[in-house]
This record gives sequence, structure tokens and C-alpha cells, in this order.
Amino acid sequence: MPVTFDTVEEGDDLETQTLYLAKDQVREYARVNGITFPRFVDDEGARKEGLPGMIAPGNLTMGLLATFVEAWAGAGSLRRLGSTFRSLVLPDATFHLCAAVTEKDAARRTAELDVWMETADGERVVIGTATVALR
Amino acid sequence: MILDLHLHSELSDDSRAPVEAYLKILQRKRAERPVDGIVLTEHRQFDPRRDFRGLEDRYGLLILNAAEVETDYGHMLVFGVNEDITARFDFSDVRLPAQEVVDEVAKLGGIALPCHPGRPNVGLCAHYDRRGRLENVVAVEALNGGSKQGEDARVAALIKARGYAAYGGSDAHLVSFVGICATEFDRELRSMDDLVSELRAGRCRPVDFRPSRAA
Amino acid sequence: MDIDRSIVGREFDRTDTEPVGADELIAFARALGERDPRYVTPGADLVAHPTYCVRYRGRKFFPDDLPEALLRRLSLDAGKDIELGVAIRPGDRIRVVSSIHDVYEKTGRSGTMTFVVVRFVLTNQRDELVATIDNRMMYR
Repeated sequence: MPVTFDTVEEGDDLETQTLYLAKDQVREYARVNGITFPRFVDDEGARKEGLPGMIAPGNLTMGLLATFVEAWAGAGSLRRLGSTFRSLVLPDATFHLCAAVTEKDAARRTAELDVWMETADGERVVIGTATVALR
Repeated sequence: MILDLHLHSELSDDSRAPVEAYLKILQRKRAERPVDGIVLTEHRQFDPRRDFRGLEDRYGLLILNAAEVETDYGHMLVFGVNEDITARFDFSDVRLPAQEVVDEVAKLGGIALPCHPGRPNVGLCAHYDRRGRLENVVAVEALNGGSKQGEDARVAALIKARGYAAYGGSDAHLVSFVGICATEFDRELRSMDDLVSELRAGRCRPVDFRPSRAA
Repeated sequence: MDIDRSIVGREFDRTDTEPVGADELIAFARALGERDPRYVTPGADLVAHPTYCVRYRGRKFFPDDLPEALLRRLSLDAGKDIELGVAIRPGDRIRVVSSIHDVYEKTGRSGTMTFVVVRFVLTNQRDELVATIDNRMMYR
């Protein structure tokens, strides 16, 4: 059940979501988006582009964070999402999606969140902020 | 007294954190991160017009204004920025001459300290591996909240080898990470002059408020 | 690298896209592991996942007068800022207006990097704002 404006407090942490990002999911995301860069297909293709191995597109990580936030705030609640892709996201690995409420705006009935994706070792590979409109 | 000496607000190109939001977090998380103030170290810029007295009064926390600049030996935090320093150095230049920054900032009343020295390319360790060392460095950032695995360990070795004093900072670009690393001082600080004085004397030590994680 | 800053703020492309199909919207959402019916169930209420808008770009991703030497370097997506307007629905035709929003240099773990921020403003056939997207491309 999505949260409401009145039940959310500044400082609330969203429950962390743990996911395994498989290479196959990256390939499928690239396929449905018509993305053909070798870096998103296999390790050999990525190394030819000067990268250490196959990587996940930043857009995919933003999509995962958006889905994660809306699972908490409600479908259609996202108003803004900003992300910095700090490190290469190498798939076939476990990641954690995390977020915390930093501010509420009573006039707009929105909440600001810090959002981030981190590796199993705690390295933050994607960081950002989001604005959601709450019921 | 404990201060977070390294963080970025929405003035920095890669942060959206409002200053007041940092203070709210520190109030809420006082038990886990007993930090008494913050030093804003915006990337490649310094705005002398920023006035935080209202926020200081409201939250009971010290807020100081500094800068993070980019040099040919990596990034440095510049504390005690004044008109003479900004006239001498263009903070938007990503290739400032590090030795000149260290020496002339000191002469002009401030102090420039290398930050995240264990980080590839923009940390002191990488440059010391290839070139001579800088003279007159007083302290380096031993704990940085944005460090990856192994980076802080490299810094411990540098500090031991060179006898540098050590400080800490969160390097927060998100509100949630303010104060996870900070610096402890022996006396109360009330101004940037106080901070510069203690840093020059090396009377500081890093403190770690991160949830348990290997360095 | 010297880049002519007069390119900042100037529109360099305006592209109208074909109508978006329901199947495309659903496939995109499913590829993210999305399960909310709003995004994956065909029907009158189907809308695009909020990040679907990042699929859109103009015919040209950069203006013609960006230095060739820059474009030959390894480029990576450094991040995006998306402001969302009305939802995208099946049948919508999206117009993408492109401009350079900013250019700057900084140093980081990867060395010296040039950042080019490309702004896309997306509107639909009703002239409603769908999204404003700032794409930060990093060249090293």
C-alpha cells in the first residue's frame, strides 16, 4: 500500500530493495530500447570500447530507482528524478536500491528523497534525488 | 567539537542538497553523528556573499564556507578563502599549480589541504607515485565518506610515511550522508579563523560515524 | 579543450516522432521488472513508465559545431535530470527540441573530463509538456 503525505516523516528510510542485475536483463533493456552499443551486450564488446566489461546503461539504473520509489509512493507519483552515474554498473551482480525522505512540502504535498544504488560492498554507484507527489 | 569539513550543496554541479536539509539531518541523527557544524566546500567556486547566520541560530550548528579546488596534484580543500586568495587563484581552473596553492593560500591567511588523497587521478597518492612530493602540506583527508574500498587504507600509509596530520569529511553530495565522516577538535571553534588556526597546528583528528564498513 | 560557449542555449534540433505503441510501453516497463498495472496492462489506462521519456532524442544528439576531437573521445553517460510533465499514452506523438544546456570541465577518478549537458524538451501533440531532460555526457 503506498504511503500518504500525512504518514511520511522527514528522515524516514525506505526499506532497501536487494536485486540481482543479470546481464540478460541488461540485454533485454537494450533490445527494447533499440540500443546496440557493444558495451551493453557482452564483455568483449565492452573491452573493445575501452571498458573493463559489460555495463548496464545509466537509463536502466534510473528506471530501477524510479520503480523502487513508486512502489513506495504510488504509481504515477514521480515528478522529478535526478541521477549521477558515479561508477560503472557491472551486471551479473547484487545491488541494493536505497532511499530516504529528506524534506516534505506541505503546500505542494510532495516529498523529496535521496535515492541511491549501491553494490553489495556498499559502494554507491548511482546517487540522486527524487520528488514525489503524495496522496 | 566535531565538524564535517567536506560537503557540497546545490551550488556544486553534482549536488542538489539544500544547506538547511543538511542541518535537519544532523539534528535528527545527533545520537549517531554528534556533529556540531559543517563546512561547505563547493566545487571550483567560492561565493563570499553566503550568509548562514540565520540558519546557525535556528539549528544551533556552525556553518562555514570554503571551497574544493582542482590542482595538478589532485583536489584540495581551501579554508579561509578571502579576496586576496580569489584574486590570486581562479577556482574554476581545473589545473591549478598545487605547490603554489599550498604556499600562497597559507601566506594569504588560509590553508589548503589535499582531500581524498587515496582516490585515483585526483588524490595525492597517485601523484606522489609518479612525481616529487609537495612541500608544506600540513594535513590530508584520512577519512572521506565517498571513498571506495581500499582508498582510505592507502591514505593511512601516506600519513605514516609523511607524518601528516589527518582530518575527515563526508564529501556528501546527498543530504543523507552528511556527517558520516568528520573531524574532531580539542576546543570549541566559532569562526573560520578558529578553524584555520587549529588546522595549521594539526590539532585535529578524523572521526568515523559510518555504519561498520571496511576502509 | 576550448569549446565555443556561444552554442550554449541554442536549439540545434527539432524532431517529431512516430506515435508510440502500447506494446512498446509495456515492453519497456517489463524490461525494468515493473509490475504495476498502470504500466503493463493494455487498455485505456495504460501510460508510459516515468523513465520512458529517456528513450527520446532528436535526429542529432549534438550540434554540428562541437569539436570533432571531443566527439572522438570515449563518452559515457554521467547522469540525467528529468522533470516530468503529463504522462505519455499510446498514440502520443512526441516532439523533441534539443539544445546544449552547459559545457564544463572537471577532474575526477577518470582524469580530466569534459561535460556536455544536452537538454531535451519533450511535448506531445497537444502541446503539453511531457518532460525536460538534462543529459550529462562525459568525455575523457
